[in-house]
Amino acid sequence: MEKYLILLSWGSQGWLDDIARGAFITVSLALCTLPIGLLIGFFIALGKQSNEPTIKLAANIYTTIFRGLPELLTLFLVYFGIQIGVQKLLALLGFSAQIEINSFVSGMLALGVVFSSYASEVFLSAFRAIPKGQYEGGYAVGLHTGQTMRLIILPQLIRLALPGLSNLWLILLKDTALVSVVGLSDILRQTGVAARVTKEAFLFFGLACLIYLALAIISSFFIERIELWTKKSGVTR
Amino acid sequence: MKLSLKLALSAATVALTMGFSHAEDMMKLKIGTEGAYPPFNNLTADGKLEGFDIDITNALCAEMKAECEIVTQDWDGIIPALQAGKFDAIIASMSITDERKEKVDFTKKYYNTPPAIAVPKDSTIADISPEALKGKSIGVQASTIHFNFAEAKYGESDIKGFPSAQEYQLDIANGRVDAVMDDVMVLKGFIATPEGTACCKILGTIEPDAKIHGEGAGIAVRKGETDLVNKLNAAIEAIRANGKYDEIAKKYFDFDVYGS
Repeated sequence: MEKYLILLSWGSQGWLDDIARGAFITVSLALCTLPIGLLIGFFIALGKQSNEPTIKLAANIYTTIFRGLPELLTLFLVYFGIQIGVQKLLALLGFSAQIEINSFVSGMLALGVVFSSYASEVFLSAFRAIPKGQYEGGYAVGLHTGQTMRLIILPQLIRLALPGLSNLWLILLKDTALVSVVGLSDILRQTGVAARVTKEAFLFFGLACLIYLALAIISSFFIERIELWTKKSGVTR
Repeated sequence: MKLSLKLALSAATVALTMGFSHAEDMMKLKIGTEGAYPPFNNLTADGKLEGFDIDITNALCAEMKAECEIVTQDWDGIIPALQAGKFDAIIASMSITDERKEKVDFTKKYYNTPPAIAVPKDSTIADISPEALKGKSIGVQASTIHFNFAEAKYGESDIKGFPSAQEYQLDIANGRVDAVMDDVMVLKGFIATPEGTACCKILGTIEPDAKIHGEGAGIAVRKGETDLVNKLNAAIEAIRANGKYDEIAKKYFDFDVYGS
Protein backbone atom coordinates (compact mmCIF):
# COMPACT_ATOMS: atom_id res chain seq x y z
CA MET A 1 0.00 0.00 0.00
CA GLU A 2 2.78 2.38 0.93
CA LYS A 3 4.42 1.63 -2.40
CA TYR A 4 1.35 2.90 -4.23
CA LEU A 5 1.23 6.02 -2.12
CA ILE A 6 4.83 6.76 -3.06
CA LEU A 7 4.11 6.08 -6.74
CA LEU A 8 1.18 8.48 -6.60
CA SER A 9 2.95 11.14 -4.59
CA TRP A 10 3.91 14.61 -5.74
CA GLY A 11 7.59 15.23 -6.43
CA SER A 12 10.66 13.37 -7.54
CA GLN A 13 9.56 9.96 -6.19
CA GLY A 14 6.01 9.88 -7.45
CA TRP A 15 4.30 10.36 -10.77
CA LEU A 16 1.41 12.56 -9.67
CA ASP A 17 3.12 15.81 -10.68
CA ASP A 18 3.90 14.39 -14.13
CA ILE A 19 0.34 13.21 -14.60
CA ALA A 20 -1.03 16.53 -13.35
CA ARG A 21 1.07 18.27 -15.99
CA GLY A 22 -0.43 15.86 -18.51
CA ALA A 23 -3.92 16.75 -17.33
CA PHE A 24 -3.07 20.44 -17.69
CA ILE A 25 -1.95 19.85 -21.30
CA THR A 26 -5.13 17.90 -22.05
CA VAL A 27 -7.45 20.52 -20.57
CA SER A 28 -5.65 23.51 -22.05
CA LEU A 29 -5.50 21.88 -25.47
CA ALA A 30 -9.22 21.15 -25.39
CA LEU A 31 -10.04 24.67 -24.16
CA CYS A 32 -7.87 26.27 -26.83
CA THR A 33 -9.37 24.09 -29.54
CA LEU A 34 -12.97 24.83 -28.60
CA PRO A 35 -13.20 28.49 -29.76
CA ILE A 36 -11.45 27.66 -33.05
CA GLY A 37 -13.79 24.75 -33.67
CA LEU A 38 -16.91 26.68 -32.75
CA LEU A 39 -16.00 29.70 -34.84
CA ILE A 40 -15.06 27.76 -37.96
CA GLY A 41 -18.03 25.44 -37.46
CA PHE A 42 -20.42 28.39 -37.23
CA PHE A 43 -19.14 29.93 -40.46
CA ILE A 44 -19.17 26.59 -42.26
CA ALA A 45 -22.81 26.21 -41.23
CA LEU A 46 -23.53 29.69 -42.60
CA GLY A 47 -21.71 28.69 -45.78
CA LYS A 48 -23.84 25.61 -46.15
CA GLN A 49 -26.97 27.75 -46.02
CA SER A 50 -25.58 30.22 -48.50
CA ASN A 51 -27.40 30.91 -51.74
CA GLU A 52 -24.04 31.12 -53.47
CA PRO A 53 -23.42 27.58 -54.83
CA THR A 54 -19.59 27.80 -54.75
CA ILE A 55 -19.57 28.69 -51.04
CA LYS A 56 -22.00 25.89 -50.37
CA LEU A 57 -19.83 23.46 -52.30
CA ALA A 58 -16.66 24.58 -50.50
CA ALA A 59 -18.34 24.14 -47.12
CA ASN A 60 -19.55 20.68 -48.09
CA ILE A 61 -16.11 19.63 -49.31
CA TYR A 62 -14.60 20.85 -46.03
CA THR A 63 -16.93 18.77 -43.88
CA THR A 64 -16.61 15.76 -46.17
CA ILE A 65 -12.82 15.80 -45.84
CA PHE A 66 -12.49 16.41 -42.14
CA ARG A 67 -15.36 14.21 -41.07
CA GLY A 68 -14.10 11.49 -43.38
CA LEU A 69 -10.46 11.41 -42.32
CA PRO A 70 -9.52 9.68 -39.09
CA GLU A 71 -8.51 12.30 -36.51
CA LEU A 72 -5.08 10.74 -36.17
CA LEU A 73 -4.42 11.15 -39.88
CA THR A 74 -5.51 14.78 -39.79
CA LEU A 75 -3.10 15.31 -36.92
CA PHE A 76 -0.25 13.68 -38.86
CA LEU A 77 -1.07 15.78 -41.90
CA VAL A 78 -0.94 18.98 -39.90
CA TYR A 79 2.05 18.15 -37.73
CA PHE A 80 4.37 16.36 -40.14
CA GLY A 81 2.80 17.28 -43.46
CA ILE A 82 2.87 21.05 -43.02
CA GLN A 83 6.41 21.01 -41.70
CA ILE A 84 7.71 18.87 -44.56
CA GLY A 85 5.67 20.89 -47.05
CA VAL A 86 6.93 24.24 -45.82
CA GLN A 87 10.51 23.01 -45.74
CA LYS A 88 10.27 21.66 -49.29
CA LEU A 89 8.80 24.96 -50.39
CA LEU A 90 11.56 26.94 -48.70
CA ALA A 91 14.21 24.65 -50.15
CA LEU A 92 12.68 25.24 -53.57
CA LEU A 93 12.98 28.98 -53.03
CA GLY A 94 16.57 28.57 -51.91
CA PHE A 95 16.22 29.00 -48.14
CA SER A 96 17.42 26.34 -45.76
CA ALA A 97 15.73 27.47 -42.56
CA GLN A 98 14.46 24.91 -40.07
CA ILE A 99 10.74 25.38 -39.67
CA GLU A 100 9.31 23.98 -36.49
CA ILE A 101 5.57 23.45 -36.33
CA ASN A 102 4.74 23.45 -32.66
CA SER A 103 3.05 20.25 -31.54
CA PHE A 104 0.52 22.09 -29.36
CA VAL A 105 -0.49 24.38 -32.21
CA SER A 106 -0.79 21.51 -34.67
CA GLY A 107 -2.86 19.59 -32.16
CA MET A 108 -5.10 22.64 -31.81
CA LEU A 109 -5.42 23.03 -35.57
CA ALA A 110 -6.06 19.37 -36.32
CA LEU A 111 -8.60 18.85 -33.54
CA GLY A 112 -10.10 22.26 -34.32
CA VAL A 113 -10.87 21.48 -37.96
CA VAL A 114 -12.29 18.08 -37.05
CA PHE A 115 -14.42 19.65 -34.30
CA SER A 116 -15.59 22.39 -36.64
CA SER A 117 -16.71 20.01 -39.36
CA TYR A 118 -18.90 18.13 -36.90
CA ALA A 119 -20.03 21.34 -35.20
CA SER A 120 -21.13 22.81 -38.53
CA GLU A 121 -23.70 20.03 -38.88
CA VAL A 122 -24.97 20.69 -35.36
CA PHE A 123 -25.25 24.41 -36.12
CA LEU A 124 -26.95 23.63 -39.42
CA SER A 125 -29.69 21.59 -37.82
CA ALA A 126 -30.10 24.32 -35.18
CA PHE A 127 -30.39 26.96 -37.89
CA ARG A 128 -33.05 24.91 -39.64
CA ALA A 129 -35.05 24.63 -36.42
CA ILE A 130 -35.38 28.41 -36.20
CA PRO A 131 -38.45 29.53 -38.17
CA LYS A 132 -38.07 32.07 -40.94
CA GLY A 133 -40.45 34.33 -39.07
CA GLN A 134 -37.78 35.02 -36.48
CA TYR A 135 -35.58 36.66 -39.10
CA GLU A 136 -38.52 38.51 -40.59
CA GLY A 137 -39.56 39.72 -37.15
CA GLY A 138 -36.07 41.10 -36.65
CA TYR A 139 -36.08 42.96 -39.94
CA ALA A 140 -39.63 44.22 -39.26
CA VAL A 141 -38.55 46.00 -36.07
CA GLY A 142 -35.71 47.64 -37.98
CA LEU A 143 -32.69 45.51 -37.03
CA HIS A 144 -30.11 44.95 -39.73
CA THR A 145 -28.73 41.49 -40.59
CA GLY A 146 -25.91 41.49 -38.04
CA GLN A 147 -28.18 42.63 -35.21
CA THR A 148 -30.83 40.08 -36.13
CA MET A 149 -28.20 37.37 -36.04
CA ARG A 150 -26.70 38.48 -32.74
CA LEU A 151 -29.83 39.43 -30.82
CA ILE A 152 -32.48 37.08 -32.15
CA ILE A 153 -30.96 34.08 -33.88
CA LEU A 154 -27.82 33.39 -31.85
CA PRO A 155 -29.47 32.99 -28.42
CA GLN A 156 -31.92 30.49 -29.87
CA LEU A 157 -29.16 28.83 -31.85
CA ILE A 158 -27.09 28.23 -28.73
CA ARG A 159 -30.03 26.66 -26.95
CA LEU A 160 -30.82 24.38 -29.87
CA ALA A 161 -27.21 23.44 -30.59
CA LEU A 162 -26.12 22.93 -26.99
CA PRO A 163 -26.88 19.19 -26.62
CA GLY A 164 -25.04 18.39 -29.85
CA LEU A 165 -22.14 20.68 -28.99
CA SER A 166 -21.72 19.27 -25.50
CA ASN A 167 -21.45 15.84 -27.10
CA LEU A 168 -18.71 17.15 -29.36
CA TRP A 169 -16.93 18.76 -26.42
CA LEU A 170 -16.70 15.45 -24.59
CA ILE A 171 -15.46 13.75 -27.74
CA LEU A 172 -12.86 16.50 -28.13
CA LEU A 173 -11.71 16.03 -24.55
CA LYS A 174 -10.98 12.38 -25.29
CA ASP A 175 -9.54 13.00 -28.75
CA THR A 176 -6.80 15.07 -27.18
CA ALA A 177 -5.26 11.70 -26.24
CA LEU A 178 -4.16 11.46 -29.88
CA VAL A 179 -1.66 14.28 -29.49
CA SER A 180 0.70 12.00 -27.58
CA VAL A 181 1.93 10.70 -30.95
CA VAL A 182 3.17 14.14 -31.93
CA GLY A 183 5.22 14.45 -28.77
CA LEU A 184 2.82 16.26 -26.45
CA SER A 185 2.78 14.82 -22.97
CA ASP A 186 -0.93 14.60 -22.26
CA ILE A 187 -2.69 12.45 -19.65
CA LEU A 188 -2.46 9.26 -21.68
CA ARG A 189 1.21 9.66 -22.60
CA GLN A 190 2.21 10.45 -19.00
CA THR A 191 0.21 7.63 -17.45
CA GLY A 192 1.44 5.30 -20.22
CA VAL A 193 5.06 6.14 -19.45
CA ALA A 194 4.43 5.73 -15.74
CA ALA A 195 2.69 2.40 -16.30
CA ARG A 196 5.47 1.04 -18.47
CA VAL A 197 8.30 2.24 -16.30
CA THR A 198 6.83 1.15 -12.97
CA LYS A 199 4.97 -1.90 -14.39
CA GLU A 200 1.86 -0.74 -12.53
CA ALA A 201 -0.47 -0.59 -15.50
CA PHE A 202 -3.75 -0.97 -13.62
CA LEU A 203 -2.88 1.72 -11.13
CA PHE A 204 -1.93 4.34 -13.69
CA PHE A 205 -4.43 3.56 -16.43
CA GLY A 206 -7.08 3.41 -13.70
CA LEU A 207 -5.97 6.85 -12.61
CA ALA A 208 -6.21 8.05 -16.22
CA CYS A 209 -9.80 6.74 -16.36
CA LEU A 210 -10.66 8.64 -13.18
CA ILE A 211 -9.14 11.86 -14.51
CA TYR A 212 -11.08 11.64 -17.78
CA LEU A 213 -14.25 10.85 -15.86
CA ALA A 214 -13.68 13.78 -13.52
CA LEU A 215 -13.17 16.07 -16.51
CA ALA A 216 -16.42 14.81 -18.02
CA ILE A 217 -18.31 15.43 -14.77
CA ILE A 218 -16.88 18.95 -14.42
CA SER A 219 -17.81 19.60 -18.06
CA SER A 220 -21.39 18.50 -17.60
CA PHE A 221 -21.68 20.82 -14.60
CA PHE A 222 -20.70 23.80 -16.76
CA ILE A 223 -22.87 22.65 -19.65
CA GLU A 224 -25.82 22.53 -17.28
CA ARG A 225 -25.12 26.10 -16.18
CA ILE A 226 -25.08 27.27 -19.80
CA GLU A 227 -28.31 25.41 -20.44
CA LEU A 228 -29.99 27.12 -17.50
CA TRP A 229 -28.77 30.44 -18.79
CA THR A 230 -30.19 29.87 -22.27
CA LYS A 231 -33.50 28.75 -20.78
CA LYS A 232 -33.69 31.87 -18.69
CA SER A 233 -33.35 34.05 -21.77
CA GLY A 234 -36.02 31.90 -23.37
CA VAL A 235 -38.53 32.69 -20.65
CA THR A 236 -38.01 36.43 -20.64
CA ARG A 237 -38.38 36.55 -24.40
CA MET B 1 37.03 22.38 -45.17
CA LYS B 2 34.68 19.54 -46.10
CA LEU B 3 37.55 17.48 -47.47
CA SER B 4 39.77 18.04 -44.48
CA LEU B 5 36.92 17.03 -42.19
CA LYS B 6 36.45 13.82 -44.12
CA LEU B 7 40.14 13.11 -43.92
CA ALA B 8 40.04 13.73 -40.21
CA LEU B 9 37.10 11.39 -39.91
CA SER B 10 38.71 8.51 -41.73
CA ALA B 11 41.88 9.07 -39.77
CA ALA B 12 39.88 8.99 -36.56
CA THR B 13 38.19 5.78 -37.63
CA VAL B 14 41.55 4.11 -38.16
CA ALA B 15 43.53 5.58 -35.33
CA LEU B 16 40.58 5.93 -32.95
CA THR B 17 42.57 8.27 -30.81
CA MET B 18 42.17 11.39 -32.89
CA GLY B 19 39.33 13.68 -32.02
CA PHE B 20 37.49 16.29 -33.99
CA SER B 21 38.62 19.17 -31.90
CA HIS B 22 40.36 20.75 -34.84
CA ALA B 23 37.38 20.26 -37.14
CA GLU B 24 34.14 22.25 -37.01
CA ASP B 25 33.03 24.21 -34.02
CA MET B 26 30.66 22.61 -31.50
CA MET B 27 28.13 20.50 -33.39
CA LYS B 28 24.55 20.81 -32.13
CA LEU B 29 22.40 17.70 -32.26
CA LYS B 30 18.85 16.92 -31.28
CA ILE B 31 18.36 13.27 -30.38
CA GLY B 32 14.95 11.63 -30.30
CA THR B 33 14.12 8.77 -27.97
CA GLU B 34 10.96 7.02 -26.80
CA GLY B 35 11.26 7.34 -23.04
CA ALA B 36 9.19 4.29 -22.19
CA TYR B 37 11.47 1.31 -22.86
CA PRO B 38 13.32 0.36 -19.69
CA PRO B 39 16.13 -0.47 -19.20
CA PHE B 40 17.18 1.16 -22.48
CA ASN B 41 15.44 4.49 -22.35
CA ASN B 42 12.78 5.59 -19.91
CA LEU B 43 11.58 8.62 -18.06
CA THR B 44 11.75 8.55 -14.28
CA ALA B 45 9.21 9.88 -11.83
CA ASP B 46 11.08 13.17 -11.62
CA GLY B 47 10.98 13.56 -15.38
CA LYS B 48 14.59 12.61 -16.13
CA LEU B 49 15.71 10.22 -18.82
CA GLU B 50 17.77 7.19 -17.94
CA GLY B 51 18.87 3.89 -19.43
CA PHE B 52 21.46 2.29 -21.67
CA ASP B 53 20.47 4.29 -24.77
CA ILE B 54 20.70 7.53 -22.83
CA ASP B 55 24.15 6.77 -21.41
CA ILE B 56 25.36 5.68 -24.84
CA THR B 57 23.94 8.86 -26.35
CA ASN B 58 25.79 11.00 -23.84
CA ALA B 59 29.01 9.05 -24.39
CA LEU B 60 28.70 9.40 -28.17
CA CYS B 61 28.00 13.11 -27.90
CA ALA B 62 31.00 13.59 -25.63
CA GLU B 63 33.11 11.63 -28.10
CA MET B 64 31.89 13.73 -31.04
CA LYS B 65 32.25 16.90 -28.97
CA ALA B 66 28.65 17.64 -29.84
CA GLU B 67 26.12 19.50 -27.79
CA CYS B 68 23.17 17.15 -27.59
CA GLU B 69 19.60 17.69 -26.54
CA ILE B 70 17.50 14.56 -25.98
CA VAL B 71 13.79 14.86 -26.67
CA THR B 72 11.11 12.24 -26.12
CA GLN B 73 8.57 11.23 -28.71
CA ASP B 74 5.96 8.46 -28.75
CA TRP B 75 7.19 5.42 -30.73
CA ASP B 76 4.38 5.55 -33.33
CA GLY B 77 5.45 8.94 -34.58
CA ILE B 78 9.19 8.64 -34.11
CA ILE B 79 10.25 8.10 -37.75
CA PRO B 80 7.88 10.75 -39.17
CA ALA B 81 9.21 13.16 -36.54
CA LEU B 82 12.79 12.44 -37.65
CA GLN B 83 11.85 12.97 -41.28
CA ALA B 84 10.03 16.17 -40.46
CA GLY B 85 13.18 17.47 -38.79
CA LYS B 86 11.94 17.48 -35.20
CA PHE B 87 15.28 15.89 -34.31
CA ASP B 88 18.43 14.77 -36.11
CA ALA B 89 18.88 11.20 -34.91
CA ILE B 90 16.92 8.46 -33.16
CA ILE B 91 18.73 6.62 -30.39
CA ALA B 92 15.93 4.48 -29.04
CA SER B 93 16.96 0.84 -29.45
CA MET B 94 15.65 0.91 -33.01
CA SER B 95 16.43 -2.31 -34.84
CA ILE B 96 18.06 -1.94 -38.23
CA THR B 97 15.67 -3.45 -40.79
CA ASP B 98 15.40 -3.26 -44.58
CA GLU B 99 11.91 -1.87 -44.24
CA ARG B 100 13.14 1.02 -42.10
CA LYS B 101 16.21 1.53 -44.31
CA GLU B 102 13.84 2.64 -47.06
CA LYS B 103 12.83 5.57 -44.88
CA VAL B 104 15.95 6.38 -42.85
CA ASP B 105 19.70 5.78 -42.86
CA PHE B 106 21.29 3.77 -40.08
CA THR B 107 24.65 3.70 -38.40
CA LYS B 108 26.26 0.38 -37.59
CA LYS B 109 24.67 -1.43 -34.68
CA TYR B 110 25.43 -0.20 -31.19
CA TYR B 111 24.05 -3.35 -29.61
CA ASN B 112 22.36 -6.61 -30.56
CA THR B 113 20.54 -8.83 -28.09
CA PRO B 114 18.83 -12.10 -28.99
CA PRO B 115 15.05 -12.59 -28.84
CA ALA B 116 13.55 -14.95 -26.28
CA ILE B 117 10.28 -16.60 -25.33
CA ALA B 118 8.70 -16.45 -21.89
CA VAL B 119 5.88 -18.68 -20.70
CA PRO B 120 3.81 -19.06 -17.53
CA LYS B 121 5.64 -21.03 -14.82
CA ASP B 122 3.30 -24.02 -15.06
CA SER B 123 3.40 -24.08 -18.86
CA THR B 124 3.62 -27.45 -20.62
CA ILE B 125 5.40 -25.99 -23.64
CA ALA B 126 8.61 -28.00 -23.93
CA ASP B 127 10.95 -25.70 -25.86
CA ILE B 128 11.08 -22.63 -28.05
CA SER B 129 10.74 -24.53 -31.36
CA PRO B 130 7.81 -23.66 -33.64
CA GLU B 131 6.61 -27.28 -33.29
CA ALA B 132 6.35 -27.01 -29.53
CA LEU B 133 4.33 -23.82 -29.86
CA LYS B 134 1.99 -25.13 -32.54
CA GLY B 135 -1.59 -24.05 -31.87
CA LYS B 136 -0.55 -21.92 -28.87
CA SER B 137 -1.07 -18.20 -28.72
CA ILE B 138 2.02 -15.98 -28.68
CA GLY B 139 1.83 -12.36 -27.57
CA VAL B 140 4.17 -9.95 -29.36
CA GLN B 141 4.43 -6.18 -29.63
CA ALA B 142 3.02 -5.23 -33.02
CA SER B 143 5.08 -3.34 -35.63
CA THR B 144 8.32 -4.81 -34.30
CA ILE B 145 10.84 -7.25 -35.74
CA HIS B 146 9.66 -9.76 -33.15
CA PHE B 147 6.17 -9.62 -34.59
CA ASN B 148 7.48 -10.13 -38.13
CA PHE B 149 9.64 -13.01 -36.93
CA ALA B 150 6.75 -14.65 -35.09
CA GLU B 151 4.53 -14.33 -38.16
CA ALA B 152 7.20 -15.85 -40.39
CA LYS B 153 8.53 -18.65 -38.20
CA TYR B 154 5.64 -19.44 -35.88
CA GLY B 155 2.89 -19.51 -38.50
CA GLU B 156 1.23 -22.51 -36.85
CA SER B 157 0.80 -20.54 -33.65
CA ASP B 158 -1.78 -17.87 -33.00
CA ILE B 159 0.23 -14.63 -33.12
CA LYS B 160 -1.37 -11.81 -31.17
CA GLY B 161 -0.11 -8.26 -31.72
CA PHE B 162 -0.12 -5.83 -28.80
CA PRO B 163 0.47 -2.07 -28.94
CA SER B 164 3.20 -2.24 -26.30
CA ALA B 165 5.19 -4.67 -24.20
CA GLN B 166 3.14 -3.68 -21.17
CA GLU B 167 -0.05 -5.09 -22.65
CA TYR B 168 1.19 -8.55 -23.58
CA GLN B 169 2.82 -8.74 -20.16
CA LEU B 170 -0.54 -8.11 -18.56
CA ASP B 171 -2.13 -10.73 -20.75
CA ILE B 172 0.40 -13.45 -20.00
CA ALA B 173 0.11 -12.67 -16.29
CA ASN B 174 -3.64 -13.13 -16.68
CA GLY B 175 -3.19 -16.31 -18.69
CA ARG B 176 -4.76 -14.92 -21.86
CA VAL B 177 -1.75 -15.86 -24.02
CA ASP B 178 0.31 -19.05 -23.79
CA ALA B 179 3.67 -17.44 -24.48
CA VAL B 180 5.23 -14.08 -25.24
CA MET B 181 8.13 -13.23 -27.49
CA ASP B 182 10.40 -10.22 -27.24
CA ASP B 183 13.97 -9.20 -26.82
CA VAL B 184 15.65 -11.18 -24.02
CA MET B 185 16.39 -7.91 -22.22
CA VAL B 186 12.79 -6.84 -22.13
CA LEU B 187 11.60 -10.24 -20.95
CA LYS B 188 14.33 -10.34 -18.31
CA GLY B 189 13.17 -6.97 -17.08
CA PHE B 190 9.61 -8.25 -16.95
CA ILE B 191 10.57 -11.42 -15.04
CA ALA B 192 12.36 -9.22 -12.52
CA THR B 193 9.12 -7.43 -11.56
CA PRO B 194 6.89 -8.91 -8.81
CA GLU B 195 4.18 -9.82 -11.36
CA GLY B 196 6.73 -11.36 -13.71
CA THR B 197 8.36 -13.39 -10.97
CA ALA B 198 4.98 -14.63 -9.83
CA CYS B 199 3.72 -15.70 -13.23
CA CYS B 200 6.42 -16.45 -15.70
CA LYS B 201 9.82 -17.77 -16.68
CA ILE B 202 12.07 -17.45 -19.69
CA LEU B 203 11.81 -20.61 -21.78
CA GLY B 204 14.90 -19.87 -23.84
CA THR B 205 16.55 -17.53 -26.28
CA ILE B 206 16.12 -17.86 -30.03
CA GLU B 207 18.91 -17.76 -32.58
CA PRO B 208 18.31 -14.44 -34.33
CA ASP B 209 17.44 -14.56 -38.02
CA ALA B 210 19.62 -11.93 -39.68
CA LYS B 211 17.05 -11.44 -42.43
CA ILE B 212 14.32 -10.50 -39.99
CA HIS B 213 16.06 -9.41 -36.82
CA GLY B 214 18.65 -7.52 -38.78
CA GLU B 215 21.97 -6.38 -37.55
CA GLY B 216 20.85 -5.13 -34.16
CA ALA B 217 19.91 -1.72 -32.89
CA GLY B 218 21.33 1.27 -34.72
CA ILE B 219 21.03 5.01 -34.74
CA ALA B 220 18.62 6.31 -37.36
CA VAL B 221 19.20 9.59 -39.20
CA ARG B 222 17.44 11.22 -42.14
CA LYS B 223 18.25 9.75 -45.54
CA GLY B 224 21.34 11.13 -47.17
CA GLU B 225 23.01 12.46 -44.03
CA THR B 226 26.14 10.42 -44.64
CA ASP B 227 28.29 12.89 -42.79
CA LEU B 228 26.40 12.37 -39.54
CA VAL B 229 26.35 8.59 -40.03
CA ASN B 230 30.14 8.59 -40.43
CA LYS B 231 30.61 10.71 -37.35
CA LEU B 232 28.34 8.49 -35.28
CA ASN B 233 30.00 5.31 -36.56
CA ALA B 234 33.40 6.68 -35.67
CA ALA B 235 32.14 7.63 -32.22
CA ILE B 236 30.66 4.14 -31.65
CA GLU B 237 33.98 2.56 -32.57
CA ALA B 238 35.82 5.02 -30.38
CA ILE B 239 33.78 4.29 -27.25
CA ARG B 240 34.01 0.56 -27.99
CA ALA B 241 37.79 0.88 -28.12
CA ASN B 242 38.36 3.15 -25.15
CA GLY B 243 36.33 1.08 -22.70
CA LYS B 244 33.57 3.63 -22.21
CA TYR B 245 31.07 1.30 -23.88
CA ASP B 246 31.90 -1.65 -21.62
CA GLU B 247 31.71 0.59 -18.60
CA ILE B 248 28.15 1.60 -19.53
CA ALA B 249 27.14 -1.93 -20.57
CA LYS B 250 28.32 -3.37 -17.25
CA LYS B 251 25.98 -0.99 -15.45
CA TYR B 252 22.95 -2.57 -17.12
CA PHE B 253 23.70 -6.08 -18.36
CA ASP B 254 25.37 -9.27 -17.18
CA PHE B 255 26.13 -10.46 -20.72
CA ASP B 256 27.76 -9.10 -23.87
CA VAL B 257 25.11 -6.74 -25.15
CA TYR B 258 27.10 -5.76 -28.24
CA GLY B 259 26.88 -9.31 -29.59
CA SER B 260 29.26 -10.88 -32.05
